[in-house]
Amino acid sequence: MSTEAPARGARAGFDLDRPWQLHAQVSVRPERFGALLYHFGTRRLSFLKSPELLTVVSALGAAPTAREACRQAGVSDAELPAYAAALATLASSQMICAREAS
Amino acid sequence: MSERAGTAEVTESTAATAIAEPELATADLLVEEVSIDGMCGVY
Repeated sequence: MSTEAPARGARAGFDLDRPWQLHAQVSVRPERFGALLYHFGTRRLSFLKSPELLTVVSALGAAPTAREACRQAGVSDAELPAYAAALATLASSQMICAREAS
Repeated sequence: MSERAGTAEVTESTAATAIAEPELATADLLVEEVSIDGMCGVY
């Protein structure tokens, strides 16, 4: 088992203003601390250490943008950079992926 | 003289690191990634 810090460059490039969704091969298990995500393709685990982040991730598939999913989950403007960084980490590990606007 | 300049640079660099750390720490608090590759047979 190894823990890996994601590349900082991957965090900086997350586009909050486009639609995203949970990857089809990812299973979500809600936990008291937040949630566990397991990717069946890459066999990677991600710990979401905030119930609010789980709410954001769950809302991604229906929200028009990631920014809107954050807003619906009650993420404040001050918290938005940290959540964008967390979503960038999840995107870099393929837990979430961009989707076409509907 | 050059020693003082070197000290000033180190102090400045440390201050910059101290400013950058909270953003990184906050992001790390929200998500932690783990790879389970290589765990086959460990039960």
